[in-house]
Amino acid sequence: MESETQRIALGLRQRDVAVLEALVEQYQYRLVRYLVSLLGRRDGVDDFVQETWLRVLERGGSYDGQSRFEPWLFRVARNIALDAMRKRPMFSLDSNEVDGVHSSPASIEPSPYTIAARTQDAERLAHSLQTLEPVYREALVLRFQEDLSLQEISVIVGAPVSTVASRIYRGLATLRPHFEGETA
Amino acid sequence: MNIDHHQSFQRMIDESLAGAISAEKEQSLREHLSTCAPCQEYLSASNRVIAGLSGFSFEVNPSLNARVLATLRLQAEGGHRVPGGDTGTMRQHHMPFKNWAAFAAALSMSFVGSRLMYQMAERLAAPTHFVSAQVQAGVLVFWLLPSLCAALCLLAAPGGNRGIA
Repeated sequence: MESETQRIALGLRQRDVAVLEALVEQYQYRLVRYLVSLLGRRDGVDDFVQETWLRVLERGGSYDGQSRFEPWLFRVARNIALDAMRKRPMFSLDSNEVDGVHSSPASIEPSPYTIAARTQDAERLAHSLQTLEPVYREALVLRFQEDLSLQEISVIVGAPVSTVASRIYRGLATLRPHFEGETA
Repeated sequence: MNIDHHQSFQRMIDESLAGAISAEKEQSLREHLSTCAPCQEYLSASNRVIAGLSGFSFEVNPSLNARVLATLRLQAEGGHRVPGGDTGTMRQHHMPFKNWAAFAAALSMSFVGSRLMYQMAERLAAPTHFVSAQVQAGVLVFWLLPSLCAALCLLAAPGGNRGIA
């Protein structure tokens, strides 16, 4: 019996619109959430989402169905966002530029995290998440929101597993003080 | 217990949360946590961070799905981008027919025209006091090369629905 991932891979090879529609329905929210986390802003994300799905249609044949679909999808989205940012360099996500680059563009609008916070804990994290270096934010989101393994995140960001783990540790270390000294 | 000892277990907590801990270390960590209040607090704060990360809910533009699906259908059927629907970074692999037609016409003109001009070179040479070879070189420089360049430009020029990436 063919697995779900193999069915997706076959559908993408055949440019099956029904398969694509199902994928859009299933992964659209997660794609938006990942791109917001990657970019630290909401505007422009819809264009990247559309471009990502078009790229999935055009290059879906390169998905082999041997691994989960979402890491492959996020990698496509990441490449598109990075390409666009290199052309309009507001800030960078490259790991070798982490220490020298601002995390977010200056804006008078409330951050997407402030708007999206639905719990008290989320409200307390919103500002710190917005100012967190994008590579740490991305690693935290992929691990704890998207529930991806270190290996899967490593494939998405194109960095060694040890680097991904370090980013998660540093991200946690930055956010943890919000809750230290309290009982849960 | 000294600070280094706690730090080593707190590092294990990070590794455990990241999914980078061995079964052996995990067991050791569990045993330590059952008796160590500072490390329990460290784990609790870490878990609050993770819970906080799950407490965000981003709104998806209600028209986004429809827009994406319409574009995908059009692209899958015709291989063309939706006019005005691209982001300026889209890629188009299909050369529009009109570009191919213009390229073929320009290429034909360059060779047919050059051939005719070559044949007329001797006739042109006499009244202009140039030798035939000079006229032929002129044909090559002023007719064949520009028309070939024009043909290549047509091939490379973006069509009405081609992206720039």
